[in-house]
Amino acid sequence: MSTQPYVPAPPLVKGDHDFASITRLVTDVNLRPTPKAWYLFMILANALAGVLLISIGYLIWEGTGIWGLNNPVGWGWAIINFVWWVGIGHAGTLISAILFLFRQDWRTAINRFAEAMTIFAVMCAGVFPAIHVGRIWVIYWVFPVPNQMYMWPNFNSPLLWDVFAVSTYFTVSLLFWYVGLVPDLATLRDRATDKIRQIAYGIGSLGWTGSNRHWWNYEKAYMILAGLATPLVLSVHTIVSFDFAVSMIPGWHTTIFPPYFVAGAIFSGFAMVLTLMIVARKVYNMKDIMTDDHMEKMNIVILVTGSMVGFAYMMEFFIAWYSGVEYEQAIFILRATGPYAWAYWTMMTCNVLSPQFFWSKKLRRNVGFTFFISIVVNIGMWFERFVITVTSLANDYLPSSWDYYSPTIWDALTYLGTFGLFFTLFLAFLRFLPMIAIAEIKAVMPQADPHNYNEETNEYHPPKVEVPKPQLETV
Amino acid sequence: MSASETNGMEKSAALYGMLAEFRNPKELIDAAMLVNKSGYTKYDTFSPFPVHGMDKAMSLKKSKLGWIVLLHGFIGFTGAITMMYFMAVADYPLNISGKPFLNGPAWVPITFELTVLLSAFGAVFGMFFLNGLPKLNNPLFSVERFKKATDDGFFVCIEADDTQFETEKVRKLFEEAGATHIEEVYD
Amino acid sequence: MSETTPTTTYWKSLNELAENQEYKKYAEREFTENATELNDGVSRRGFLRVMGASIALAGFAACRRPVQKILPYSRQPEDIVPGIPLYYATSMPLMGSLVGLVAENHEGRPTKLEGNDMHPASRGGTNAFHQAAILNLYDPDRSRFPRKDGQRASLEDFSTFLSEELGRTTAKRILFISEANSSPTLAAQKAYLTNTYFDNAEWVTYEAFGEENAFRGTDLAFGSRLRPYYKYDQADVVVSLNDDMLSATHPNNVEYSNQITGKRKVTSTKDTMSRIYAVEDSFSVTGSYADNRLRLKASQIPAFTFALAQALSEQTSGLDAFSGVNNSFVGHEWISALAEDLLANRGRSAVSAGLEHAPEVHAAVAAMNVALGNAGNTVDYLEVPHAGDSVETTFEDALTRLNNDEFDVAVIVGGNPVYTSPELAQAIGKVETVVHLSDFYNETSKAATWHINRAHFLETWGDGYSFGGTRSVIQPQIQPLHGGISEIEFLSMFSGSMAKGYDLVRNTFAEYYNDLDAAWVNILHDGIDRIDSFAKPNVRVTSSLGSAVAGALNQTPGSGMEVVIRPDASVYDGRFANNGWLQELPDPMTKITWDNVALMSPATAAQLGVENEDVVSVTVNESSVTIAAWIQPGHVDDAITLSVGYGREGIGRVANRYMDYTSGGSDTYPLRAHNSLFSAGSVSKTGETYEIACVQDHHSLEGRDLYRQATIEKYKKTPEYASFAYIHKYEVPGLKEAAAKGEDEPISLFDEQVYPEYEPQWGMAIDLNSCFGCGVCIIACQSENNIPVIGKKEVKRGREMHWIRNDRYFVGEDADNPQAVHQPVPCMHCELAPCEQVCPVAATTHSNDGMNQMTYNRCIGTRYCANNCPYKVRRFNFFNYPKEYLTTGDDPDIIQMAMNPEVTVRFRGVMEKCTYCAQRVNRAKISAKIETGSPKPADGTVKTACQQACPADCISFGDLTDPNSEVSKIKRNERNYQMLEELNTRPRTSYVAKLTNPNPALA
Repeated sequence: MSTQPYVPAPPLVKGDHDFASITRLVTDVNLRPTPKAWYLFMILANALAGVLLISIGYLIWEGTGIWGLNNPVGWGWAIINFVWWVGIGHAGTLISAILFLFRQDWRTAINRFAEAMTIFAVMCAGVFPAIHVGRIWVIYWVFPVPNQMYMWPNFNSPLLWDVFAVSTYFTVSLLFWYVGLVPDLATLRDRATDKIRQIAYGIGSLGWTGSNRHWWNYEKAYMILAGLATPLVLSVHTIVSFDFAVSMIPGWHTTIFPPYFVAGAIFSGFAMVLTLMIVARKVYNMKDIMTDDHMEKMNIVILVTGSMVGFAYMMEFFIAWYSGVEYEQAIFILRATGPYAWAYWTMMTCNVLSPQFFWSKKLRRNVGFTFFISIVVNIGMWFERFVITVTSLANDYLPSSWDYYSPTIWDALTYLGTFGLFFTLFLAFLRFLPMIAIAEIKAVMPQADPHNYNEETNEYHPPKVEVPKPQLETV
Repeated sequence: MSASETNGMEKSAALYGMLAEFRNPKELIDAAMLVNKSGYTKYDTFSPFPVHGMDKAMSLKKSKLGWIVLLHGFIGFTGAITMMYFMAVADYPLNISGKPFLNGPAWVPITFELTVLLSAFGAVFGMFFLNGLPKLNNPLFSVERFKKATDDGFFVCIEADDTQFETEKVRKLFEEAGATHIEEVYD
Repeated sequence: MSETTPTTTYWKSLNELAENQEYKKYAEREFTENATELNDGVSRRGFLRVMGASIALAGFAACRRPVQKILPYSRQPEDIVPGIPLYYATSMPLMGSLVGLVAENHEGRPTKLEGNDMHPASRGGTNAFHQAAILNLYDPDRSRFPRKDGQRASLEDFSTFLSEELGRTTAKRILFISEANSSPTLAAQKAYLTNTYFDNAEWVTYEAFGEENAFRGTDLAFGSRLRPYYKYDQADVVVSLNDDMLSATHPNNVEYSNQITGKRKVTSTKDTMSRIYAVEDSFSVTGSYADNRLRLKASQIPAFTFALAQALSEQTSGLDAFSGVNNSFVGHEWISALAEDLLANRGRSAVSAGLEHAPEVHAAVAAMNVALGNAGNTVDYLEVPHAGDSVETTFEDALTRLNNDEFDVAVIVGGNPVYTSPELAQAIGKVETVVHLSDFYNETSKAATWHINRAHFLETWGDGYSFGGTRSVIQPQIQPLHGGISEIEFLSMFSGSMAKGYDLVRNTFAEYYNDLDAAWVNILHDGIDRIDSFAKPNVRVTSSLGSAVAGALNQTPGSGMEVVIRPDASVYDGRFANNGWLQELPDPMTKITWDNVALMSPATAAQLGVENEDVVSVTVNESSVTIAAWIQPGHVDDAITLSVGYGREGIGRVANRYMDYTSGGSDTYPLRAHNSLFSAGSVSKTGETYEIACVQDHHSLEGRDLYRQATIEKYKKTPEYASFAYIHKYEVPGLKEAAAKGEDEPISLFDEQVYPEYEPQWGMAIDLNSCFGCGVCIIACQSENNIPVIGKKEVKRGREMHWIRNDRYFVGEDADNPQAVHQPVPCMHCELAPCEQVCPVAATTHSNDGMNQMTYNRCIGTRYCANNCPYKVRRFNFFNYPKEYLTTGDDPDIIQMAMNPEVTVRFRGVMEKCTYCAQRVNRAKISAKIETGSPKPADGTVKTACQQACPADCISFGDLTDPNSEVSKIKRNERNYQMLEELNTRPRTSYVAKLTNPNPALA
């Protein structure tokens, strides 16, 4: 092992900020009068959300038949979109929980943001399982509620596991997010000048004072939540993948699905966070907090998870061949060469090829390029779900039943509509809630560390990074 | 009890406590230590973020939250298994794919999810419970300056109903600690 | 209108008027919706509702007691126990023959037709037409009242017209044009009207696809018009010269299928089976069932036949007429092989020719059968009294005389000649008065002066003979819904006043019996009067045969493109065009629904540069038709095969070309000259395309072991040829481990549920060796289980609802000349059903008697079960199909009367699938429990609808706990296998692998 110089970690907050300036930087966004542009985008988002409502209304009125589903292909865009949104919804909790446990302090800049995205993405995801069933008005039968039939749900069904997994995940993410929000709502409460805000934020902050006796329990709770959310976030997409893996359709019945789905989820989640972050930090000029270092770190995560997904694709093929099951082999050859080859190769290009650019540090730190790739990745991940869901169903065991699936305008409009829902919520979040965890970011600033103060004068002196003497290896 | 104390009681009938502001976390910690050493119990420190080492400085006891969470997790775990046993085995058993009614492996996911869910409830609501939140009104809010506590202010407050509380003594203590502002808080 | 309508219904009419306006608006709204929604297929609704308004107007006449009012049983009819169906024997007349049926009646309403076990032409079997006939009865588009010049009239008006215009002494020259009809009553009326009653009346029997050529052939061969009636159960070698005797378009296909498949039932390596040769142009079910198949153009069949006769003439006597034959087929490997096989099986072989082939071909075939000593053994030649006897004139004669204005009145008794025969249509135009009896107000009715609405055969009394000569009575099951009359009642009106069908039939039968009353009950009960009514004269080839066929022998087959026109497997000659079940029944060979197509071989398609769904224009002497092309592997090159019966206008909501002309097919009759099977023509690509709804996209087995077959030799050598282990060279995974534990099923992760001792355990076995893919099981299931018709657009979307489907795969290396195999696929009722475990609400579960059950009212429609079904047998109600199908905007919605009250009608958003006919099973279990105390019915007492309908007895169903039950025996057979058994789903439905018996000489 060669000796290498100690490289100091870059400061998490750029520019010379003190606590007050951070507070202002973040909370002014919520307190200053609403900008015109915000209304414009909100109207657009609402219009899209309207499209969602209309297509759902028409769906309930007419029946599932308005979608392009057919006999072998019982699941189409609805399930694809569900998995896609849920996947995106993984980044938030992952960032706030797992990175928290790993003491990745840089997370504090983006966790609030990512958690909000998670919650809204899961809401969009939740729409689909609810509306894709044939009789939407009795969807509540999937919950173990007493009913006139004296029947209970079937606990063998992965779909039922899904119900519990996704609803649990949503609830816990929401709580986690809210717990994080409480001290910052208090900040807003104390900075707000008008009555309405004071009352609204006052209620939201539950009367938080910043008491260190409270902080003491609070940190404990936050730690425990992070500990709980970590297995949870891994379990959710595992269970989503069970919807496929537990069935017996060639191309679905695969043990690699859980890890592969989780990797894919993180992959797409981080990409989505980047897409939003790059825009937001520009609009709200938060470059000091959401720095290029953050972007680079996340690009590295994308590179890693992207390669994991790529590995999974290869592994699927290998196992199909190795298992010697003719139906497995057939479906994988069909994916690459069959009627849906176009979708398969789109997926390959977007998910496996495009992240490889991030081996280059220059590209990792290139904002425009990152933005582009982050979108490409999410397109790719949508196609991954398409390839998994549709191709396997379209060409399974009995060739006589093979049939081609093509979506209708209503499939497309419903999907489009969920973006409306997502951005409506997200814009509201940006407007009314602090998009950065103020308390947490302050806590990781050097000023927050008592050791950075002179013992006598109690004056702040920035920490000087001392580079330790290179230790020589004794062999 | 002694006269002086009773007087003190009377005088500070409307008094909630004494609030002092300090410049930065370092001073806050020092102040907290001082107050703590001087034997005050009904006091608290306020900062916009958790200050590291404050627990030692104030010699706070270990939080009981862990036990609350454990209890809830246990409820979730047993609750899930009981529910599924009742529904799938006891109340309405059905022959599904020829599988046994008590199909252990299939029950794992839901058991896990419900355990996590209940634990999370325990953690969040337990924490609020221990902190006595929500408590929308607090005498400190009547102090304009205290608004900084969620921005960049660092405060110590000794409550009037602390057995050793005496306005002058406390004020002196704070001055020694180097408080920038000291004022009385009434409710 | 009001004065023609009886006052009792006058007020009702007003209400209807109001309602009809509603319907009109409704229908119009539907149209606009369709127009906007074509892209997502919601416009399927157009189907059953197009012209809802117009038909609702017809609803004025829809005032018949059986459907109009619900009357309490104030006087309870005998033997009717509500909920318990009653069964009455009847018969269905079709193509000039009867087939004995049993009608299931619920509270006085027939809901299902089954074959009559005792009737020789049925033996309990039926074909698709018989099964679907019940829907015709309740077809809301049937003609509901007589019309004069298109205006509503009454029967009274018609009888006054008859008495005034067509009295006994009328000077009018009358031509009766009747469809083939075996009724002795009608034969008597025919004789009476033409010989006695009218001075100048002529009679001609016209069928678009009749037996006329066969009769003329025997006339040439034997000097008398005889019907060749085969006894395939005696034949070890069957040679079909373009004869599709297994198809429902053959008048005797049920009996023939039963005999042919019966001869090929193999239960052990000791058994033998017959050998079938098929020489044909297009791929027919017979061809797909044959052991050896030769592709020849239809125009080459005669030459081939004569060459065969020539080959046989060398070693037999009586074929001298053909000894001189010297055409391209002399010396053909097939000729020598066939001749050898036939000569080796004298008296045990049967040669037959397609009905539409020229009389000379039939003559040659007849001569061959005599020469081979088959006559009297495997084929009888029957004297059929009613078929073209002395009182009739020939079609050609009638046609010329019509064209020469030698007739003033044309009385058309059934049939639709204006549509089916361009020549006749044009000739009839010259007649001043045309009277037409028909069940639809169709093309002919529109051209007619008088249209009389005809009663369905289940509505009135009738009689007739089966193909083989069994005399039966047609027993009505319900009052005429629209006051129609039968053909015999119709004819009786010409000779004075209208007699009741019952009396007419009684009178006819009175001649057969001294004491009819004694016999009558049995005749009705059995549905059979006399088995062998037709005389079987000894036949000998006439000396004049040589000169008679000489002309034909020298004809050389055309070399260019030829166009062959055949009846359609779904709509026959077009008479079933308004039957939704048949329209949606996939064609046995092409699997196409709702349309007819131009079939051609891959080579021809390549040569024309067309692909499936390309529209081609087919031209035969000046008249041309545009129709979608479809590539049929195994079709002969340089030929186009068309089927008839489509491209209808104003018949009914199902038959009509859909408004946007995206369905309904094309009318191919304009290309057809009467009695000619093929004609030279030309084909060209138009550049347009036309959507075809084919239920099967993929036609190759992909080398999978789903369908298993072997030659009988191989079977004798390796009886285990159908086993998984033999095919894959290794055991089913998990079997060894199980054997170690002393179990016989592959091991499973879980300790499985055990079924209670006292319950029967249902299982089904499907004998692939008997199935020739006719698809009657599909219709039978549809009729029994209230399966909706969903329309072309939905089928095109791949949402067909049939609970049992019939997969057709092409097998073999030669893409131009493959083998076609048929595999019926119902629900497998897996013991370890993959569908059940994935349903989140436990809507599909297992019953104690081992059936995989759907709980419709629990289903929320996640479709997960269908996804996880490896056999893809589950069907989902993507829309509210039953509502679309059952509320057609008629008042009342009589189509609902066709529904089986014992089966739930499924709602939108619900999954459904084959239930093993749970309603039948449970009825049997209940009665067994009452009688014996055990819920295990005796073997054979419960039959599923598909099993009951199958003329080939290819499906067996029963209790697996009974080791002696039919199905248990079959499942013990070494040829029995489970589809995808390596998945260890433990299907209760298994298959018996196919066997073929090809001629080694042709291998």
